[in-house]
Amino acid sequence: MTELSGLFFYLVSVLIAGGIYALLCLALNIQWGMGGLFNAGIVGFFAIGAYTSAILTTPETAKHLGGFELPIFAGLIGAAIIAGVTGWAVARICVRLKSDYLAMASIGIAEILRLVIVNESWLTNGSLGISGIPRPFGEYTAGRPADLVFLAYVWLIVLIVYLVATRLYNSPWGRSLRAIRDNEASAAAAGKNVERFRTQTFVIGCAFMGVAGALSAHYFRFLSPSATDPLLVTFLVWVMLMAGGSGNNRGAIVGALGIWALWSVTEIFTNRLPPEWATRSSFIRMLLVGLLLQYVLQKFRAGILPEKSPPLHFEDEAERPAPEK
Amino acid sequence: MKKCMTLIAAAALLGSTALAQADDTKVGVLMDITGPIASFIPPLQNAANLAVKQVNDQGGLLDGKAVAIYGDTTGSAQGAVDAAQKLANVENVPIVMGALMSGTTIAAAEAVFIPSGIVQISPTATSPAMTDMKDNDLVYRIVPSDNFQGQVLAQMVLDQGIEKVAVTYVNNDYGVGIGQTFMDAYRAAGGEIVAEVKHEEKKNSYRSELATLAKGGADHLVVIAYAGDSGGKIVKQSIEGGLFSNFVGTDGLRDELLIKDVGAEALKTSFFSSPTSPADNPAQKTLHDAFNAEYGEGADKAFVDQTYDATFLTLLAIEKAGSADRGAMAAALRDVASSPGEKVGPGEWAKAKALLKEGKDIDYDGAGGSYNFDANGDVSGLIGKFVVDGDGYKQIAIFE
Repeated sequence: MTELSGLFFYLVSVLIAGGIYALLCLALNIQWGMGGLFNAGIVGFFAIGAYTSAILTTPETAKHLGGFELPIFAGLIGAAIIAGVTGWAVARICVRLKSDYLAMASIGIAEILRLVIVNESWLTNGSLGISGIPRPFGEYTAGRPADLVFLAYVWLIVLIVYLVATRLYNSPWGRSLRAIRDNEASAAAAGKNVERFRTQTFVIGCAFMGVAGALSAHYFRFLSPSATDPLLVTFLVWVMLMAGGSGNNRGAIVGALGIWALWSVTEIFTNRLPPEWATRSSFIRMLLVGLLLQYVLQKFRAGILPEKSPPLHFEDEAERPAPEK
Repeated sequence: MKKCMTLIAAAALLGSTALAQADDTKVGVLMDITGPIASFIPPLQNAANLAVKQVNDQGGLLDGKAVAIYGDTTGSAQGAVDAAQKLANVENVPIVMGALMSGTTIAAAEAVFIPSGIVQISPTATSPAMTDMKDNDLVYRIVPSDNFQGQVLAQMVLDQGIEKVAVTYVNNDYGVGIGQTFMDAYRAAGGEIVAEVKHEEKKNSYRSELATLAKGGADHLVVIAYAGDSGGKIVKQSIEGGLFSNFVGTDGLRDELLIKDVGAEALKTSFFSSPTSPADNPAQKTLHDAFNAEYGEGADKAFVDQTYDATFLTLLAIEKAGSADRGAMAAALRDVASSPGEKVGPGEWAKAKALLKEGKDIDYDGAGGSYNFDANGDVSGLIGKFVVDGDGYKQIAIFE
């Protein structure tokens, strides 16, 4: 019985982490899948969101800025705003860069943000980190059932972001964006303000990345620079989106869940290797993850759920007179 | 057909559970195996395996054998929480040794082990934040908090009659942790800090930092950094520039490398603090001999003693509790680690098991110290005062 409930709570934990990654993937899908913006600095906006929400919701302490004790939802909104504003400032400077140059610039910016977090200890307590970050409804739940509440909270936000992202994708705004992504010159010729569209896309994506960061901080209950590892944020999210299907919101969620499950479950297998392999099993696991990712990426080149453009609706088509020849 | 084979292989792997028998007891070992401190880990895995092997060679754990289940934090909070979830829920371990870095230890504890009621004992996490965690008496460590060395260092400096210092510390959790507590304790006890500079690692020149530090007119410079990195360069460059000639360092600076770099003559007025074992601890030699007999070399590597001791303590706690019941672990751990009780040392599993069977109280004194936990699950440990003596260091006093 304990084994079954244990497996159940493990599944819950995979779904919580998978949900946070799904948010990051949806955000990246807005930037890359819809707007064609190569953001390789996801971890920077993730970290801003995480620290913003942590600072806004923790009790007062002498170690870092804080003492606001706002409700967690306010923390999430704060995270979205600060990450979005930072995204706007970054976009003002580098959104005009062509895709690969934007990638380089955004890696650099993520590193700058990380160094600011490590060094400005009046703000973030530097390398010692922020502790005592509350969970939503934490005062009513304790122990392992608290994870269930948090799971529902995370997936509610995933649902909201998914609906927003789908609405954006199907809207005229989304169509213009895809036109810019596929052919910038002709979109500009059709009168679209390319730079403004790209800035908007970048800001919206960054705000959602900030929300994902904030949820991570509340999940871990403790935030230090060890949560801002680019391998586990930026690069893993890129792999998830590529595997899931860039340009497809459902694909982004499927990719996040699938790849995170792959990442997590492999350890259960490598732990069963004979004891003389014990010191190597963690490295074998990394190799295994790499191989499986190669397989997924080779097998599904356009992703598991490839992009499918929405059908065009001309509501007044019937009434409109046939075009004259 | 191919798919079928893969499935069978997977099922065989999962089903084998490392060939665990029904009577076997799992113990969780959470380490930062891949990631930034990967190079430290192999001897530490050997240390944990040695403890488990000794237990199995000397009568086993409870009615079966002990099985170490590893979790890899990948050195990040995400990985730590994920690995901890697997140890807690899939493997159902009653107690966990680890993790090694403070950041991963605290994230695993806060998100997983405290809610699931699992005792965790870290061999190396020194972050002061762990002291005031609301942990329901579940989180322990067997190294003193950074706060402790900072406070002792302040006392050491004042005892020497030095009432005015300049301070520089490296910007990571080690430097900031000790640096801040040192300054607070030093000021509180009446000392004056005329200049303080936090510096970054891996720079070539620290002359501008040193210029700022020298302005206050202090004779002594407190350096909290590593000899192989910024600490060594700061000492060297301040001697070259004639800015400071008296240094006060911590265990990071107390390194033979420093003497090689600047010479013993230049350090004769300097002194250093470092966590230390009680003088001539025989338990340490016992462990090192057993370790080298098993693995050939590596017993003197950093944190081997602490990792072995922490693993051995988790196993003793399970044996003491008499079952793999999570709820009984905290009390059992406190019991086997603290006096009173009959002394047990590294490798003496058969003796410990026999004593526990008779219902006697035991007290484990490990290779790294005697580990009496306070109310927060911290240990106080000992800090030695060292001076340069020829090519090495000589301990001239022990502070508690």
